[in-house]
Amino acid sequence: MKQNLRVMISTGHLGTAPSSPESYYRGLETNPDYVVADGGSSDPGPVYLGEDINLGQFAREEMELFVPSTRKKGIPLIIGSAGDSGSNRGVDEFVGMVKEIAREQRLPKFKVGYFYSEVPKALVKSKLGKSEGLGGFPALTAEEADNATRIVAVAGAHPYIKLLDMGADVIIGGRSGDIAWTAGPCIRAGFPEGLAYHMGKMIECASLVAEPFMGKETVIGTITKDDIRITPYHPDQRCTIGSVAGHSMYERETPYFEHALGGTLDMRACRYEQADARTVRITGAKWLLAKELRVKLEGAKKIGERYMGFVGVRDPHVVKNIESAIEWSKTAVARRFPDTKYELYFHVFGRDAILKELEPVKAQPAHELGLVVEGVAATDALAEKITDFATRMFFLSRIPGVKGTAGTAATTKKTMKSSPGYMWNVNHTIPIDDPLELFPVHMTQAGV
Amino acid sequence: MRLYDLASTIRSKNAGVNQITFDIIFPDRKTYERAVRSGAITRDSIAKLYKIPESRISDFVTFEVGNAIKFTIYRLRPSGSPGDWDILGCQQYGPLLDLEIP
Repeated sequence: MKQNLRVMISTGHLGTAPSSPESYYRGLETNPDYVVADGGSSDPGPVYLGEDINLGQFAREEMELFVPSTRKKGIPLIIGSAGDSGSNRGVDEFVGMVKEIAREQRLPKFKVGYFYSEVPKALVKSKLGKSEGLGGFPALTAEEADNATRIVAVAGAHPYIKLLDMGADVIIGGRSGDIAWTAGPCIRAGFPEGLAYHMGKMIECASLVAEPFMGKETVIGTITKDDIRITPYHPDQRCTIGSVAGHSMYERETPYFEHALGGTLDMRACRYEQADARTVRITGAKWLLAKELRVKLEGAKKIGERYMGFVGVRDPHVVKNIESAIEWSKTAVARRFPDTKYELYFHVFGRDAILKELEPVKAQPAHELGLVVEGVAATDALAEKITDFATRMFFLSRIPGVKGTAGTAATTKKTMKSSPGYMWNVNHTIPIDDPLELFPVHMTQAGV
Repeated sequence: MRLYDLASTIRSKNAGVNQITFDIIFPDRKTYERAVRSGAITRDSIAKLYKIPESRISDFVTFEVGNAIKFTIYRLRPSGSPGDWDILGCQQYGPLLDLEIP
C-alpha cells in the first residue's frame, strides 16, 4: 500500500470563474495522485436544477486546463456534480466536452467514466412514507414530487470508487456530496474512511481553506493512515490552524458532524497542528457507519416567469413614506389584475433588501433608496406587464405632502427579463438498499 | 469593544437550502474566551439582534478548537425562492459587526 495519497483541487465550483493557472501548474508539477474539481452546488439557488441550465460560464476554459494537463501526466481527473446541478444533461454535456477537447488536442485514447443522479419520480413516490425532510422541510408529498421539474439524488463516494475500479482516467459525476470525490480514491487506496471524508471536506472549496482569502487557487491534501495535511500552492497563501479549523465548520449547521450517503463524518475529536509554515496537519476524524442507508434528494418547482424593474428614490419625503409607496403599487396591481395569480416582491436597497425581516436598522433608511420590483406570473407576457406596471407605480405614487409633481421615483432602463422563478421543494432523504442503486455507472472512450 | 475589532472572521453562509449558518472566529484562545465569557453572544442576544424567536435558531455552539462561536438559523423560505435577495446567505452577518463586547 502507498504511504500517502495526494489529491489536488483548484476550484470549489468549476466554471464560475477560471482557476488560476499559476498555482494549478505549480501544484501539478509535484505530481499529485488525483486532480479533482467540484462542478456544482445547490448554493446558487433552485433555478439551475429546476430549469436544467448551467451557471458556470467558464466550464469549457476550466476543462481545457484540466483535461490535457492531467492526461499528459497520466493523473486521473474527477469532476463531481457536473453542470452545476448534476442533472443528466449536465453530465452528458461534460462527457461531450471531454471528448471534444481530447479530439481537438489529439490526446491519446483514454477512458471516461460517468454516472447519472436523476431519480425517477415513481421511485421517489414509492418511498414517500419513509422520507424525511431536511433543514425544517415538511414531509414530502406526491404532489410536491410531481411539481419538481426533476429530482437528483446526492451520491456518496461509491460510484467514484466503482468507476476507478473499472479503470476510468476521467470521471464525470452526477450530483454528489462535495466530500465524495476526494474520499473515493482515498478509501479505494485503503486509507481510513474518517480521514478520507475529512480530507474531502477540507479541500472541497480549494483555496478557501487557506489565508488570506483567495478563490480559485490550488491546494493539495495529503492523506496517510494516521493524518491528513493541507497545503496551498499560491505562494502568498498559508494554511493555519485557524483557517483550517474554521473551514471545517464552513457552510454546515454544526462544526462536529457532516452527513453523507453511508455514514456521518464525526469531527468531535479532531486536532489541528501547524506542520510547517504553510501546512496544517489534522488527525482524529472518525466515520460513523450509518445503520440505514439514506440518500438525499434535491428538486425544485417552477413558480412562473419572472421580470425585474428598478427605480430609485431621492425625495426625503418619499424615502420616509416608502411603505406607503409600496402599498400604493401593490394596491394598484391588485386592482388592475384581479383574479390573476402572481407574486410581487419589493426589494428596498438602502433599507432592508438583503436582510428583510432580519434587518435590525430598518427604521434608519439611507438618504436614497433603490427598489427592485420582482414579479412572477404564469406567462412571460403577464409577468412583464405586471412587473412593469408595479414598477411604474412608484413614479406615479400618490403620497400626501409630496412637493415634487413630475415623478416620485427616478426610472431608468426597461423592465428586465430574469430567469424563471423556482423554489426548492424537495430537500429530503429516502432509504435505499445499495449505495450504487440510484447512480448507474457508464464507461466511454475519448481521444484519438 | 466592537465585535468587528475582536474577531478575525465574521461570516454567514447557506447551510443547506433552508438554513443560514454564522461563524465568528477569533484570532486566539484568549480573545475567544473573552467573547464567550462576556455573555454578549448567546442564543438570546442573537434572537434579540435579529428580532427572531429562539425557535428559529437551530444550533448554537461554542467551538473551542476553532476559537469560534457558531450559530445557525432557519430561513422563512428556501434560498433563491422569489423574494430572496441573498441566495448564498453570505451577507446576513452584517449586524454582528457592531455587537458590543464588554
